[in-house]
Amino acid sequence: MDSVITKSKNVTLLEILDRVLDKGVVISGDIVISVADVDLIYLGLKVLLSSVETMERLRDGPLVGPMQEST
Amino acid sequence: MIYIYGIIDSNGQIDESVYGLEGSNVYNIPYCDIGAVVSEVNQPIRRVTESVVLEHEAVAEKLMENFTVLPVRLLTVLDKRENVLSMMDDYYGDFKDNMDRLRGKVEFGVKVIWPADKVKSRIINAYRTRNQNVHVSDDSVERKFIRDKLKEHKIDKAFKEKADRCINAIDIFLGKFAEAKKLETLRTENLLLSAVYLVRKDNQNNFKEAFEHIRTARDDLKYLFSGPWPPYHFVIVPRKSQPSGDSGHTVTADKVILQPTPMGADKA
Repeated sequence: MDSVITKSKNVTLLEILDRVLDKGVVISGDIVISVADVDLIYLGLKVLLSSVETMERLRDGPLVGPMQEST
Repeated sequence: MIYIYGIIDSNGQIDESVYGLEGSNVYNIPYCDIGAVVSEVNQPIRRVTESVVLEHEAVAEKLMENFTVLPVRLLTVLDKRENVLSMMDDYYGDFKDNMDRLRGKVEFGVKVIWPADKVKSRIINAYRTRNQNVHVSDDSVERKFIRDKLKEHKIDKAFKEKADRCINAIDIFLGKFAEAKKLETLRTENLLLSAVYLVRKDNQNNFKEAFEHIRTARDDLKYLFSGPWPPYHFVIVPRKSQPSGDSGHTVTADKVILQPTPMGADKA
């Protein structure tokens, strides 16, 4: 169990972005994010949030449990 | 300029070992019995790199160890201390309400991926089996169109019902250990569940164990489990209209370049 908990801290940047870009205290207006020279009005990160499956590919293999690395 | 990381339930100084963006010194600007945790930056951050994201998050997590923290959105910059205090004055009641609700609690993220193609394929096969002996007397184009649409509708409905049953089975178990939750079903066909749970700190081991139990029991699904996080998804602060003129609070980057970075960054 401990190993699972420890490895669960090993999260991806995507999980952090999911939180820091429009959650928490938001006291300013929307920001515009540019990805690959295309401006996207930021409205909740829908563009990135559908990317868990992409993340799976980027991690070079299937997800195995709670953010675990294959061992 | 002053970069804000979070609002805490303390007006005292914070641990000197907390460092912010580019190693800057992080300090607390007190307002009444709470404070805004900030550091000095030379200009608004216009390029979001992996390090900016991780440094911002690292401060919020460090604060979470000792305080009730309301994390502030990435890239929130005010131009001077007076404006920080003015902002705190505007939002004081909201901040206090949130702190009372979120004190001693953390957030966990749970994403569940299922094999949508296989699930749908099984539903289609079951549909065909049920209807293989149905005799069609009128095979006009119009009737066929309507039958196809009806079939499509029934398959979609069955798919969503199966998703709901699967999510309920997971959520009933995890929800027992949570104070609040936000669930999103089928954001994409494969992303069965995207959920965040607000869990009391003294209950987080039970929550983790419950998740581990589910993961073991349903090893046909894939999971993404993360946390504990500051309670980002459970902060409720209404946006107030921006003051006009030069009294405006924020110096928000009007355009941010999201720099592609390798995935799999360590959170810690």
